[in-house]
Amino acid sequence: MAAKKLRRAQLSQEMCERLSRYQITTCQDFLCLSLLELMKVTGQSYHEVQKLLCKVSRACAPKMQTAYEMKLRKSVNPSSAFLSTTLHSLDRVLHGGVPCGSLTEITSPPGCGKTQFCIMLSVLATLPVSMGGLDGAVIYIDTESAFSAERLIEIAANRFPAYYDSDEKLLCMTRSIHLYRELTCCSVLKRIMSLEEDIILKKVKLVIIDSVASVVRKEFDTKLQGNLAERSNFLNRGASVLKYLAEEFTIPVILTNQITTALSSGPGLRADLVSPADDLSLSEGSSVSGKRDSGYVTAALGNTWSHSVNTRLILQYHDLPTRQKRTSRYVQWHVT
Amino acid sequence: MQREVGTLPLAPALRARLAAAGFQTAQELLDTGPCGLSKEIGISREEALEALQVVRQECHGDTARAAGGSGATRKCTALELLEEEQTQGFIITFCSALDNILGGGVQLTKITEICGAPGVGKTQLCMQLAVDVQIPECFGGVAGEAVFIDTEGSFMVDRVVDIAAACVQHCHLIAEAQPEEDHGKALETFSVENILSHIYCFRCRDYTELLAQVYLLPEFLAEHSKVRLVVIDGIAFPFRHDFEDLALRTRLLNGLAQQLIITANEHRAAVVLTNQMTTRIGQSQSTLVPALGESWGHAATVRLIFHWDNTQRLATLYKSPSQKESTIAYEITVQFHHCWLHVLMETRCHSIFCRF
Repeated sequence: MAAKKLRRAQLSQEMCERLSRYQITTCQDFLCLSLLELMKVTGQSYHEVQKLLCKVSRACAPKMQTAYEMKLRKSVNPSSAFLSTTLHSLDRVLHGGVPCGSLTEITSPPGCGKTQFCIMLSVLATLPVSMGGLDGAVIYIDTESAFSAERLIEIAANRFPAYYDSDEKLLCMTRSIHLYRELTCCSVLKRIMSLEEDIILKKVKLVIIDSVASVVRKEFDTKLQGNLAERSNFLNRGASVLKYLAEEFTIPVILTNQITTALSSGPGLRADLVSPADDLSLSEGSSVSGKRDSGYVTAALGNTWSHSVNTRLILQYHDLPTRQKRTSRYVQWHVT
Repeated sequence: MQREVGTLPLAPALRARLAAAGFQTAQELLDTGPCGLSKEIGISREEALEALQVVRQECHGDTARAAGGSGATRKCTALELLEEEQTQGFIITFCSALDNILGGGVQLTKITEICGAPGVGKTQLCMQLAVDVQIPECFGGVAGEAVFIDTEGSFMVDRVVDIAAACVQHCHLIAEAQPEEDHGKALETFSVENILSHIYCFRCRDYTELLAQVYLLPEFLAEHSKVRLVVIDGIAFPFRHDFEDLALRTRLLNGLAQQLIITANEHRAAVVLTNQMTTRIGQSQSTLVPALGESWGHAATVRLIFHWDNTQRLATLYKSPSQKESTIAYEITVQFHHCWLHVLMETRCHSIFCRF
């Protein structure tokens, strides 16, 4: 919307030509100028400029819908609002499953099972709607080369033996999971930007990025000056494109993140803790009391990233071999 | 009449020609007439007539203002303001401690900013206010409508349905406990469907759409004159990425703030903005501060900061012209933001839909 050219905003031809002499070609350029500047470049009087502003604004402003219309649209198709994870207690806490149309983040220490969880969700997404799936393709962006096709087939065959009873069906399922290996931040961003066409072409119903943290933390060392801002920039841009895709196509987008230890050196750094859910040591319960100067574990990528995701699932070890999933209640699950 | 030519809202090229020709005051222009003007500065008669009409309108506006009529600048005594403020309604939040520290609730004609870390309850409070603004007057509300501008995609219709249902039920309980005449009539139109149809949602994906929407807001509010609340959920999000030119960002934000203040005053609406928190890295420690920089702090009249203390959510009134700084504890339950203590937290918290 921002890059919309002014001639499509129904301004007259000569006005557009005049503005392009000052390098003002898109709606964004036009709206960023103050009234006096606009008067100077358009050569119009104050009232005329205000009318022009309204015209250009109308070309880029979003459409209005009442909350009632939104609700009606959702209730027309209730089954497509979630992707059920088939873990009943988790589904209950999430009110149905992984929500469609928003970003869900899965965070955990290494080895907890994030990639396994993502692989399972890929299988679920390819199932027909009658079995609780989304009946569509999956785009899997893998930055750690952790995806294993053999494991995928193993999960599918063991979880749904009645459905995947022939090799043919398994092959069909694997054909609808599109894997992209991206190893740098730049290529991940380029891939995200090009997803829109792929989603329409391949009828994709789930996008997974595993993992955002590994590629970002490899390239950005936040101790160096300027890197923190660049990293935030990259993450914000990726997040806003992914949000747009999730909302536009009403599909779930799943991202995985890592755990980091923040070394605390006094009360000051406590303020960095975004919310108690992010402080995983709190879940231990009785063990820690009072001072906590040795540091705490929290989800990586900073609190700006935390603002961008809509739902955050935290996996942890409770005691071996069960693993725990935390939203605000504890849900136990096993990897089999 | 003695107004200088340079201050008139004419096109800059025209102003330059008038100055070159030696015109100094508006009176001179009016005395010359359109034909004389067109010959002297070399423009067509139609253009000259147009210019003179603009000048005449301006001068007429000036004299009307000087006579004390209502216009862009208002003059009144403090007593008149006091009377106005006392009869003004507040938008209650259904959290009595929060209403208390705000002095009754969210005030109309002022900008209230809510800052907080993710997951602390900013969007929940905004959705609640969008429902509470519609409470009929006989129940203590302002009977208005709401505009919800969403930049982060965190508006949850299902949650609004929950809040609306709880609000309607609450009003029914009040009507039963203290029955009055108007209650019955008001409750006929106060239903969940009605509440939802009077919340106007806009989804702005980047700062250009946000700027465009705020420019169009006066027009929209003129058409929907019952709107008493404008919520912008996430004023920080579109401005925090892709902005290399920080000076431009400050200028755009200041412009936005000014327009919102004008809109709030003209339409007697409350403006509620939510902001993010960012980490400010100091020499020995880092602290969480509201995002968008120091100068943005001046934009809002009232500033609330939501934060955590272990697992308890707290709200601090950080800036207010009339109330003192104080902190209260609150919970998010199925129905509303509540200021009960721990009893309800255990059982109800899991019904929150997003982020936690």
